[in-house]
Amino acid sequence: MNFGYLIIVSEKPETNYSRLAYALALSIKNTQKEGYDKVALVINDKKHIENFTSTWVFDEIIEWSGAEHWDGRSYMDQLSPWDHTVCLDADMLFLRDYSHWVEYFIKNSELYIANKSFTYRGEEVNDTYYRKCFIANELPNFYSFYTFFVKNSKLATEFFNLQREIISNPTEFSNNFLDRYKPKIIGTDEAFALASKILDITDDISYPLDFPRVVHMKGMIQNWPYPAENCFDHIGFYFNKSGKLKLGNFEQNDIVHYVEKDKVNLETINILEEIAWKKN
Amino acid sequence: MDKGIVLFAHNNRQIDYAKMSILTAKLANKNLKVPVSLITDPSTVSWMKESKTFSIAAEVFHKIIITERPEDNNMRNFGDGKSYSAAPFSNGNRFNVWDLTPYKRTLLIDTDFLILSDNLNKYWDVDSDLLISPRYNDIIGEDRTGYLDTHISETGLEMYWATTVMFTKNEYTKTFFDLVDHVKQKYKMFSDVYRFNPIIYRNDIAFSIAKHIMNGYQQIDEYDLPDVFSVTDKDVLYEVENNTLKFLINYKDSNIAASVKDKDVHVMNKFSIIRNYDKLMELAE
Repeated sequence: MNFGYLIIVSEKPETNYSRLAYALALSIKNTQKEGYDKVALVINDKKHIENFTSTWVFDEIIEWSGAEHWDGRSYMDQLSPWDHTVCLDADMLFLRDYSHWVEYFIKNSELYIANKSFTYRGEEVNDTYYRKCFIANELPNFYSFYTFFVKNSKLATEFFNLQREIISNPTEFSNNFLDRYKPKIIGTDEAFALASKILDITDDISYPLDFPRVVHMKGMIQNWPYPAENCFDHIGFYFNKSGKLKLGNFEQNDIVHYVEKDKVNLETINILEEIAWKKN
Repeated sequence: MDKGIVLFAHNNRQIDYAKMSILTAKLANKNLKVPVSLITDPSTVSWMKESKTFSIAAEVFHKIIITERPEDNNMRNFGDGKSYSAAPFSNGNRFNVWDLTPYKRTLLIDTDFLILSDNLNKYWDVDSDLLISPRYNDIIGEDRTGYLDTHISETGLEMYWATTVMFTKNEYTKTFFDLVDHVKQKYKMFSDVYRFNPIIYRNDIAFSIAKHIMNGYQQIDEYDLPDVFSVTDKDVLYEVENNTLKFLINYKDSNIAASVKDKDVHVMNKFSIIRNYDKLMELAE
């Protein structure tokens, strides 16, 4: 078997997703044990990563422009070069070894989608502010930011084919299946959840587990007593030279989905690169 | 001694903590059947002698340990139903409990925490060196519980309640109480880092921060003492009858009646305790 992480980005002139993907790949190399630290990058134009010092952190670089923005992720099953894959959002950081999660999925699952997230304080997110469509339409509470799948498995293929249909035909699927609360855009989370519901496979692909644990830094779900658009207007993002991250007063050990793209800057990259160089 | 309870009492001109501590000790003695010691200061002892409570205290307490009165400049309002009065609040020496306790395993409680059950006896043998109450549990429930009753600040830590603390005397807990002292010494600095209001020193906040640091700056699942079942100082204890404490509870600008029986209760209205002192003492017989 081979296992690897997959990051899919589609750059535009005004975005810098490739830098986020680079930071994530560095953090994977810095924290995961051998055999569980491979990273494949799918990017619409390789020139966006030409200036990075350590592109070796991408074990595979696949140039592909079949879809724009996050729609590319709906092709993760076709794009992944790995037999076993975890597809991640680019705006995440790994902070310790999570390979035991992967070992579990390889042994027990064909397809698994995260079904919970956590605040920076370690509480499970229960605020439904961003999940109105899910609640109203009784969709499973999926987070596509951590999706495990086995390439060419029958279950995964059927699932990804349907969610691609949903992404490609949002109006039809919204009108038919999401009529109680129509989302402005059917994103990957909604498409995954709807595909799972239609196929009636939720119990097979997202049963309760204590992992993966992903800290989701969207403002309105931090269990604060006031509304917050941007978490980092209220708490600090402290990334030290050892690659340890504190959010506010809390040391982070789970995967952090930091959301605000400016949190990964050249300084963050330099720290991650230095750690990677020392390790390798 | 293997295990026992410790109380702190430093009187001010409004509240006779020493007198309250005798009641608290007697209730604890009766319901938990463990010795209770008092940590107090020379001026409080002088008052106890003058008010003729010292001889009672000498009988009730296993030990009376006299230490320096903490030099706090804490002023706070003490509520009594709808009225308030300001008085100095001397509670900044709790961290000394590690040095002063005569017990290997100590239960530290506030003098307004009335032990009416044997519930806390379950915790003496718990395999944890340090146990603190993790939550405030209002008699009315969550309706009346503010965010800052459960967290030290809006974006900060969940608040432990230092009303009840149990610890084993060892290096780990020594470090913990030294850290509480450090937080107290640098309270303003910690208020900037943890973003809480530093206007009054609160043991609850210092203990919460020390615990957070000892836990590696994380919120972790661990053994805790039970929630602190509490009646606020806006509420009034108006009667003690048939082993039952009867309260008028201030709720949404009106009063409702509530009673507590056979359940440990944190009665924040200290004036109420003093007014019902004799009846409460009967309860402790």
